[in-house]
Amino acid sequence: MPQVGKLLVNLLAIAAIGVGGGLGSAWYMVEAGSRLTTRSFGPWTTWIAAGRPDADPYTRAHSARNGLLPIASTLELSFYAKTDSDGGQLQSACDYAVTVEGLEGAWWNLAAFDRRGGLIANAADRFSFSGDNAMREPDGRAVIVVARDARPGNWLPVGAGKMTLALTVQDAVMAAAVHAGGSIKPLPTIRKIGCR
Amino acid sequence: MNPRLPTPALSESRWPNLAPPRLEVRQRPRPAPPGWLRKIHWRTAIGALLLAGILHVTATLAVPLLGPGMAYHKLRELLPANTMVVVPPLRPGKQLLPFLMPDAYYGICRYSLANGPITVSAPLADLGWTLSLHTPHGDNFYVIPGQQQRTTDLSLVVVPAAEKSGDLIPAVTRRAPAASEDQIASPSQEGLIIIRAPLKGLAWKGEAEAALARAKCTLGANS
Repeated sequence: MPQVGKLLVNLLAIAAIGVGGGLGSAWYMVEAGSRLTTRSFGPWTTWIAAGRPDADPYTRAHSARNGLLPIASTLELSFYAKTDSDGGQLQSACDYAVTVEGLEGAWWNLAAFDRRGGLIANAADRFSFSGDNAMREPDGRAVIVVARDARPGNWLPVGAGKMTLALTVQDAVMAAAVHAGGSIKPLPTIRKIGCR
Repeated sequence: MNPRLPTPALSESRWPNLAPPRLEVRQRPRPAPPGWLRKIHWRTAIGALLLAGILHVTATLAVPLLGPGMAYHKLRELLPANTMVVVPPLRPGKQLLPFLMPDAYYGICRYSLANGPITVSAPLADLGWTLSLHTPHGDNFYVIPGQQQRTTDLSLVVVPAAEKSGDLIPAVTRRAPAASEDQIASPSQEGLIIIRAPLKGLAWKGEAEAALARAKCTLGANS
């Protein structure tokens, strides 16, 4: 009987470490990424090699699994934020002020999605702001308020549940800096205004 | 004994031969590994780690091949081959792909090079506009952005990669290599050509629609 118990423990160890560890670590690397495949700037994360023909297997798997079709990160970067600048989860019960400052010379777009990448239905039929249509403050900043209820100025409406903000920046110089591990123009801050 | 006199020193030869004092540091007893852990053979542990590595690599490489969520597979069923389809700005529940930029028109052509090269003509009206070519696996092998407040009329010929190199396909089907710079070699026989036209606002809708109406994706090369 002790031999049977030992065999059982060994089989369980193989299953837990081998199958669980192997598939679990692959899932984590594909979904969340690592320092090898992503770079984070405050709450914003981007996949360094997204869309590139020479992308690593994790980046390819990430795009394929999520049904993404990114433009090569040599020209355009897609940043995603699931938290505010203080680390709190982005949720529609709260209002947020996204301040875009310092992206002069680059074309950018900020959109709100649910966690699965779906657009959030709203009566205003507004889903994003870009550098072309966001109203500016006198000092040149663009402050976009992400909130469920209407707000004056740049209001990006959202629905119920957790959300993801997606920031697209078209700037080849910035893209090269991200790939090379260098510093980049400051990305927008996401400040929680308040919650219901 | 007179207390004023110094204490007589004991000569070295008369020192008692005592053992040095032992300093003992009390250590906490290490907790014994749980019984089940001691039952795992070291060969099992190494085997499990190897299995984990194999499964990790296999799963990672298999995802793009299986790819139930792959963008191309989703779009292939919706789009006719070698035809430019203009998709109006996305709405909730009517998205082509997740996280695709909203408030933009898209001109999409699913190309197939099985019957020859494809000619693409497209205007890029402003900053933010892009024309990009993707393989079925999502590799964006060519992209060109629009310029600020200046319409760029593009005309590209998409040819198979082997045709551009000119020596990997039979001479009968080989087209004379054109020296034009607008020839793009596609690494795959099929793929997607996507024109993205972001809307600045509702006032620009007509302008974007008119520009995209000029976008074409046709079989055959002009050159």
